[in-house]
Amino acid sequence: MYQTSDIRKGLKIERDNAPWSVTYFQFVKPGKGCAFTRTKQKNLLTGRVVDVTYKTGEKIHPADIDDAMMQYLYNDGEEFHFMNTETYEQIGIGSDVLGKDVTNWLLEEAEVQVLFYKGNPVNVDLPNFVEMEITYCEPGVKGNTAQGASKPATLSTGATVNVPLFINQGETIKIDTRTGDYVERVSK
Amino acid sequence: MNASGLRTRASVLATTRAFFGDRGYLEVPTPVLVPSAAMEEHLFPLKADGGLLRTSPEFALKRAIASGLGRVYEIGPCFRGREDGPWHGTEFLMLEWYRVGAGLPELIAETRALISACAATLGVEVLPWRQVTVRELFLEVCGLDLATASAAELGASDDTWDEAFFRRWVQDIEPTLTDAVVVTDWPASQAALAQVRTDGEWPTACRFEVYYRGVELANAFFEVIDAREQRHRFMAANVARLAAGEPPHPIDEAFIEAVGRMPTTAGIALGIDRLVAALAGWDGIDPGRV
Repeated sequence: MYQTSDIRKGLKIERDNAPWSVTYFQFVKPGKGCAFTRTKQKNLLTGRVVDVTYKTGEKIHPADIDDAMMQYLYNDGEEFHFMNTETYEQIGIGSDVLGKDVTNWLLEEAEVQVLFYKGNPVNVDLPNFVEMEITYCEPGVKGNTAQGASKPATLSTGATVNVPLFINQGETIKIDTRTGDYVERVSK
Repeated sequence: MNASGLRTRASVLATTRAFFGDRGYLEVPTPVLVPSAAMEEHLFPLKADGGLLRTSPEFALKRAIASGLGRVYEIGPCFRGREDGPWHGTEFLMLEWYRVGAGLPELIAETRALISACAATLGVEVLPWRQVTVRELFLEVCGLDLATASAAELGASDDTWDEAFFRRWVQDIEPTLTDAVVVTDWPASQAALAQVRTDGEWPTACRFEVYYRGVELANAFFEVIDAREQRHRFMAANVARLAAGEPPHPIDEAFIEAVGRMPTTAGIALGIDRLVAALAGWDGIDPGRV
């Protein structure tokens, strides 16, 4: 059991039959009342963020959460396969479990942190930025750096991002995995 | 150490002393090391050399008022155990003042005037003020009527009514108090040292709190001046502490006796560190402290 004094960013909590990770916390005590810790918590299965307030002294259940660094190998259409870089153990995670916001930005051989809840893989922590090659887009317009004008580009994972007009097929771009937005062209 | 933060705090302190000097208040420094440090259930005094460190200068200042000093104020360090966070320090600087012969409306006006004077010193605009009762806030934000709501209706079945109240306060109400707000008419069970009114729709404490930019700055009482009532409050708080497994507060007989000799008074305690930080727009009290 955790105490309220154990609360810190990243603490994994079991609540309402789901694992939650603390993303924010603050001690607060009204002048005439008892002390509380205000938190924001992210559901590690759905990504939903909620406010939870604990009274000092309340018991908090730890979530059965593990993580491991794993290398992404390939996908077979149904599952994405990863290998533990220490034990070489391989696992498959359903694409529906991971969701497009993960699989869009998952490159073969990428090392990612895989999260296990009660022994089952449930999520993957991506780096904030990835570099990916454009497999298809309309030809670039040289010198056109007009702000705001963009076109769709398809990446090796099948994901589509909006890129500036001067970008060409075959070029590598940097993407923010949290928003799915183009950041910049990467010169190779 | 933040030199500009310390200068900001020094300006507020100088302005505050001038403000009370101009209004005929006497500055009365009182002991920090005391035999009895607090009366309330949720305050945890620190021990020091057989005594306690005060959680506020309230008991000593009330004895000063009982001796006929009239309007008094004090700025000095206070100590509260188990409080630590961006807006809490175990040691903090408290301003307390007592307006003898006045009620809460005069004290509200004076508190607003003080905050305006400090804001002017720092060259910042004062946020727009509003005044609201606790009951109105719960109706507006939570859709709950405190006059009739049970602890379970407030949302947490394992909590006492006051705990459920404060859980809602902390989680739902306080985040909405982002302007300058005077909150009046608190539940009678949270009266502390304030008189209680039983002639309204529900029993309330003659108390107000001041919130500024989401931060609780000050708490004011229309003071209990009946020694028997004061003793009863002490006992009730100690019963609650024993039930919670906490040691009872030592009872300060000299203070209780003095309460019975006090004239009608409205008193208020204001956290100086928080006032400075809230006016300066900091996200905690640290920049103004050494």
